[in-house]
Amino acid sequence: MSSRDVTSRLRERVWNGSIPLEIRLQNKDCRTYENSDPYLIQFPRLSYLALLIHKLHAFFAPNLIFPDAPPSDIWLSYEGVPLKWHYPLGLLYDLYSGAEPAYPPDTTSPPHKHEASDDEHKPLPWRLTVHFSAFPTEQLVRLDNEDKQIHDLFIQGVKEADYLRTGTGKTVMFLSKEDSTQLWDGVRTHNFTLYNPINQKLLNPQGVNLRHLPVRLYLPHAASEDTEPGSLRVVQSLVRAEVSSRQPQTIGMALNTILPTLFPSRRSALLAQAVLHGAVLPLNASVEELVRAVSYLDGWLHIAVVMMA
Amino acid sequence: METLSAFPHLTTSEFEDACTTLAARYDQHSLDQNEWQSVELIYQYEAKYLRITKPLQTCTVGRSTDKDQHTRSDEDEDDIEELEDDDDEVLPTTGGLEVLVVYDILLSPVYRVPVLYISIADPQHRYPPTMQTLYEHLIPSNFEAQAQSGGVIGGISIQDHPATNRPVFFIHPCQTAEAMEESVGRRNITAEEYLILWTGALGKCVGLNVPLALMQQNEV
Repeated sequence: MSSRDVTSRLRERVWNGSIPLEIRLQNKDCRTYENSDPYLIQFPRLSYLALLIHKLHAFFAPNLIFPDAPPSDIWLSYEGVPLKWHYPLGLLYDLYSGAEPAYPPDTTSPPHKHEASDDEHKPLPWRLTVHFSAFPTEQLVRLDNEDKQIHDLFIQGVKEADYLRTGTGKTVMFLSKEDSTQLWDGVRTHNFTLYNPINQKLLNPQGVNLRHLPVRLYLPHAASEDTEPGSLRVVQSLVRAEVSSRQPQTIGMALNTILPTLFPSRRSALLAQAVLHGAVLPLNASVEELVRAVSYLDGWLHIAVVMMA
Repeated sequence: METLSAFPHLTTSEFEDACTTLAARYDQHSLDQNEWQSVELIYQYEAKYLRITKPLQTCTVGRSTDKDQHTRSDEDEDDIEELEDDDDEVLPTTGGLEVLVVYDILLSPVYRVPVLYISIADPQHRYPPTMQTLYEHLIPSNFEAQAQSGGVIGGISIQDHPATNRPVFFIHPCQTAEAMEESVGRRNITAEEYLILWTGALGKCVGLNVPLALMQQNEV
């Protein structure tokens, strides 16, 4: 199989990755205290919880103590941690669910092997709580009723990624209005046919090699009195596509450069692991190949850094 | 005079030098002005950034204070703060607790230019980072139109602060390099001059002005 096929198959598998969610209404917001039905959905890993608020609003409105609460009052939490709804669901799950990440499989094994024996260890469905009051304004950006905030944050991410890749940010700037709209529609409706052609334009800017690669690392803080539960340190640094002429940057080199204390070796994970889409990244993977095949919708590799037991 | 090696961008060391110099300049002149309340260098994870604070001007002149308080007490139903909120309607000043606008200047690791992050520090949390707060309390009315142009919801919007990871306002940095090129032209400038020019160019629209007293020549 050509590397191009591998890339597009990986892209597709990551696109189709999803997590079952069981969302319950916070008791305080519920007319009947704890008797409301949960909202169940299989939600794409790549997508944003922000895009779920209208459905949640419609589903839970009949149970609300204050039925007039608008969708913009909604926020979600997991075990007391307010979830940043502009992080992709997969990143939130990798950071907070406590699920054991998957290790690089034997490359000869078939791709669709289901490991039923593992299922009991997986905390699925992921049980979240939806709130319609007491919005944590210090921790979360407030939503609006027209999805403008999430659109704005998404576009900011897309622009940054483009600027890193090209050094100019001109690919995004010169997207036609139709293309920009199509990109966001593809994200909003999780439609690959809409999303992919525009994403390909962004990943393959004409006449330039990729300069820097959009990589962002998320480190959970150790619990302490100064930090709220679930607070994170977000680390970002310039990651070159090539470390020297013709030698591609591997994820191990990048981690070793950015977080040398957590990744003292470029080749083997000793203290921490880099988790993306529920899988531990092999440290010898090329960052550029990862960006092309498995980046999130905004073009970034949002990597959870998980300490090893 | 040392020239900037990557103009219109700044390197990390140029940026940090500029912050250090500006903070020192403020220390020297702080008593000659009353625009800024403090300027400090913040060290976090081996990086430096600059924090400037000034009192919030509009906090007691309420074109919207009343409305704000109603929506807020609706939301904060269960919060202890509700009592304080009620007090507030009688006593709009905050009983000695000052409301500050906090301007954080960080170097963007993407665009390699300084980025301005703005928040309001209020012991009573009355100014959450929402677009409503932005236009009612931070952006002078003569800059409204300019701020609203560009981007999905304008050239100033909300993002997580890179150091605290809490939501704050920020001015979109993707045009900053071009703006600096335009305002500096062919001159050679120092990193500190860059930072002062940058503040002059971007700060106005969110109420950040460099006090004139800081611009006086240092006495030798």
